[in-house]
Amino acid sequence: MALSEQAGAAASFERRVLRSAGEHHYLRVRLELPDGGARPNVAQFKQLVVSALKELHGEVGAALPVDVLTYEEKTLSAILRVVSSGLVKLWSALTLLGFYQNRRCAFRVLQTSPFLLALAGNSRELVLD
Amino acid sequence: MAGFSDLNIPQGPDKKSMQGLLETAAHLGYSAVALNHVIDFKEKKQEIIKPVSPSELFPSLPVVQGTSKRIKVLTRLTLVISDPSHCNLLRSTSPNIRLYDIIAVFPKTEKLFHIACTTLDVDLVCINVTEKLPFYFRRPPVNVAIDRGIYFELLYTPAIKDSTMRRYTISNAISLMQICKGKNIVVSSAAERPLELRGPYDVANLGLLFGLSEGEAKAAVSTNCRAAMLHGAFSASQNIWELRKNRKVLLCFTSTETGLWALWMQPKWMLCFREVPVSCE
Repeated sequence: MALSEQAGAAASFERRVLRSAGEHHYLRVRLELPDGGARPNVAQFKQLVVSALKELHGEVGAALPVDVLTYEEKTLSAILRVVSSGLVKLWSALTLLGFYQNRRCAFRVLQTSPFLLALAGNSRELVLD
Repeated sequence: MAGFSDLNIPQGPDKKSMQGLLETAAHLGYSAVALNHVIDFKEKKQEIIKPVSPSELFPSLPVVQGTSKRIKVLTRLTLVISDPSHCNLLRSTSPNIRLYDIIAVFPKTEKLFHIACTTLDVDLVCINVTEKLPFYFRRPPVNVAIDRGIYFELLYTPAIKDSTMRRYTISNAISLMQICKGKNIVVSSAAERPLELRGPYDVANLGLLFGLSEGEAKAAVSTNCRAAMLHGAFSASQNIWELRKNRKVLLCFTSTETGLWALWMQPKWMLCFREVPVSCE
């Protein structure tokens, strides 16, 4: 994070400006594959993400630095990390993906945040007793 | 904040699949959906039937995720017009047309697009995304449509199915953006299966691809949809924009448990109120 301080003339006036929200954005996604076929493992999942980027944004999009931080094969959910400038490209590529190996699928983006810790809590799943 | 809405869910014959679609839409966070009944005049003479009441079709509506309200289901009619004679149906005060909550028109030629934007009494003008536009948008009719409160609708489900449709969707959307500067855009699905629906924030992100700004993209799924529903709730003789012109005074909007009610004064001191079928949370 880049900070810049500016001290006032006589009084101790200080202003901090955050210029960028962080160099990476984190997305928690889930792949919905309703039919009971074979589930992709982590390598195939990464391949799917990169091919989605390639279909929509071409070679430049496919070269976007995307990392799969965690992957659960049972629930087909993952946490992806992408450079902040590439968030719109990755998100739109995942949204417009319709098929995995000729099977209909859908990507559901559950959470997105510039901070990884923020993905730990999800207010949508909050249950108030 | 206006709730998210999806204004185009094609009405299929199968009740169970529609119920599945509604449940997916409610789970994704949409507060209101509109069941679309498409009438294409190129086929044999079609009658405009009365809309099926959603309460008959779906006895129990699912609850929207994140709220405690049930999803609102509206009815919508889309007319695919390829000939100026088809517009006569809209001009004639057929009683069945007014029973629909939202009326949309799908013009196929430039002249019909001009007529739809300037004179026709509709709420939405659909923009073709499945093929290259046969005409270029021009600024005058688009500006008149924006002044009249008409919204332009873009679909995103064809882009999910096929890569050539993706190109047409984005290119038609970009050419529309250049003319209308991002105002009065509504993005909706035409999903026939629950897997073709996308969450509201995903759709707002697609708006960024089309060239909208972040605020405009989110408004395309929320605020503009609600405004289109409001536009549809008032018929031409009582249109809110014409209310201002005819100096009828809009007194107030009140929000009750049943929904939003608008109260206004007509000439000769007659008070008139009508329910507005929208969800505003």
